[in-house]
Amino acid sequence: MTVPSAKPKAMIQDNTRCIGCRACMVACKSWNDRPADHTEFFAGDGYQNPRDLDANNYTLITFNEITTGARPNWVFGRQLCMHCDQPACASACPTTALTKTPLGPVVFNEWRCIGCRACMQACPFLIPKYDYESLAPKIHKCTFCADRLEAGLKPACATVCPTGAITFGDREDMVTEAKRRIAAAPGTYIPEIYGLDEVGGTSVLHLSSVPFAQIGYITGLPKTPMPDLTHRWLRVTPHVFGLLYGLFAALTWIVHRRSRRQEHGPT
Amino acid sequence: MSWTVRLTWWDKLLLAVMAAGAAIAVVRYGGGIGSVANINNAYPWGWWVGYGIMTAIALGGVGFTITGLVEILGRHRYHALLRPAVLMGLLCYSSAIVMLMVELGRPWKVWMILVSWAPSAALYEVGWCAFLYLNVLVLEFAEVPLQQLGWARALKIIRVVYLPIMLLGVTLSHLHQSSLGTLLTLIPHKIHSLWWSDQLPLLFLVSAIMAGPAMAILEHLAAARWLGFEPRLDMLAGLARIEAWLVGLFLVFQIGDLVWRGAVGAMLGGTWFALSFWIEVGAGLLVPLVLLMMPEARQSRGGLAAACGLIVVGVLLHRLNVAVVGLRVRHWETYVPSLGEVGITLGITAGAVFAFGVLARILPIHEEMSALRVRQPRPSAVPSMAGGS
Repeated sequence: MTVPSAKPKAMIQDNTRCIGCRACMVACKSWNDRPADHTEFFAGDGYQNPRDLDANNYTLITFNEITTGARPNWVFGRQLCMHCDQPACASACPTTALTKTPLGPVVFNEWRCIGCRACMQACPFLIPKYDYESLAPKIHKCTFCADRLEAGLKPACATVCPTGAITFGDREDMVTEAKRRIAAAPGTYIPEIYGLDEVGGTSVLHLSSVPFAQIGYITGLPKTPMPDLTHRWLRVTPHVFGLLYGLFAALTWIVHRRSRRQEHGPT
Repeated sequence: MSWTVRLTWWDKLLLAVMAAGAAIAVVRYGGGIGSVANINNAYPWGWWVGYGIMTAIALGGVGFTITGLVEILGRHRYHALLRPAVLMGLLCYSSAIVMLMVELGRPWKVWMILVSWAPSAALYEVGWCAFLYLNVLVLEFAEVPLQQLGWARALKIIRVVYLPIMLLGVTLSHLHQSSLGTLLTLIPHKIHSLWWSDQLPLLFLVSAIMAGPAMAILEHLAAARWLGFEPRLDMLAGLARIEAWLVGLFLVFQIGDLVWRGAVGAMLGGTWFALSFWIEVGAGLLVPLVLLMMPEARQSRGGLAAACGLIVVGVLLHRLNVAVVGLRVRHWETYVPSLGEVGITLGITAGAVFAFGVLARILPIHEEMSALRVRQPRPSAVPSMAGGS
């Protein structure tokens, strides 16, 4: 077995190469042992099935009908955990049940989870899902096939894609490759790599022929890591604790002394 | 004093609501959260977190607010409100813990917070602070039953540690009340601009402080009515004056923050979000502020009850708007709390009210009651007291 290089990994999701065959969804279900769902088509934008990620679907190809040129076309997009470099979900977890591993995957540790769902609330990409019907519910999301990566294998989805829409490798190489593709075919791609610096950078890099907002991606995200927002407040907590305790103690002492003086003062 | 309580019609009603809540809880533990609740993948936190935890903790802020006012700022004219406030704090936090046991997916793992090291997680700090503060509240309140039991030794120890423990309680409250807001600063793009602010920690802290006097006034009026003593309206009027300043402060802070962030447009837009915002600010802040600024309203039971009741509802609406209503998720996703969700929270709240009512009748919580006991109690006013004099 080959020894995997310890460099952080990444995946390019090149939506311009996607034909919507959903082999990645099947491979994902298979590797992660997710059962089939009974699904229904729905009215409205998008025609994918199921409509959204859930506890049994860790990745989803979205079908978007978009007029490109003169006629309507299917343009595909993909949803999966972005595996942020500094994940909001992990920073929100009070028991460190979610952690970012050196190879890239953000992994879930069932043993530590208390089921508070702060990670679901925290995720800017709306990725973690829950099995509300279960008596011992778990957080469900793409694992980046962390177990396969440890063994030096590619993620399941990347092995089955028949059109080369999913490319796996070291993150620095993937960034170079994504930039090369955009530069080589500026007519095919919009000049944007989704995930390059969204929320401080992620381990999944998406390419597209149309603006990402049109294919169901959440756009307008900050380029700085989400945990920075709470870190500003939380890092001062120990100091605030000491400061407030001292302040309240001093106030109590002053007020008490004053009232005692008034009691025993000149009559 | 007797330890037995004759249950009134009200007690029985509360017990019935508690039983209904317990029955729904059985379904929840038998069939999972999804069997009773409408919370879903888009709205992982709903009524249970918005009301049962966030609002319960905010209203439990009455404990540290009145404690701080009396013990730290030395406003001893409000001393009569101290014991009820600490007991209310204790019961609010206890009800939040019970709610947590229903709401968590894996409640049997809750101890994991105490053996983890997650300083980057606001919930970690909230968990630790609330856990410690619950213990502080127990110690603060312990004096009352210990006195009643006549355990002199334990009482002596409690009185020695009271001052540092009391200071610890007020400090911890400032930390975790604000940390509940810190938690939500994490998702600026997900919470509507009407409610997301990087000042959420301070907004949560100030609104919890604002909830304190309102809860204390409501409790005093309710206790006066059900336990049959004369409410001390002059004292309440004084507290209501302070409360008017607190409501004004929060209003200026909230609106000023919106203006500062450039979110005035969202405030004036014709959206459901804007409507929800104006109900929150109008009913929860503007109306009570006007009421509290009128001397005749501050002097009357009706005026005080209306103003303080609206403030409490306003705090609830603020927590709900930040954590649930203001969420922007996939546009087809919806959430309306189920009857099961509301039923369980009603059961928990009923339990807290019931416990308060029973304790208020067997323990010397209200100074006014001991005054009543010295005199002859009006028989019609204290029907529930079993040999209370």
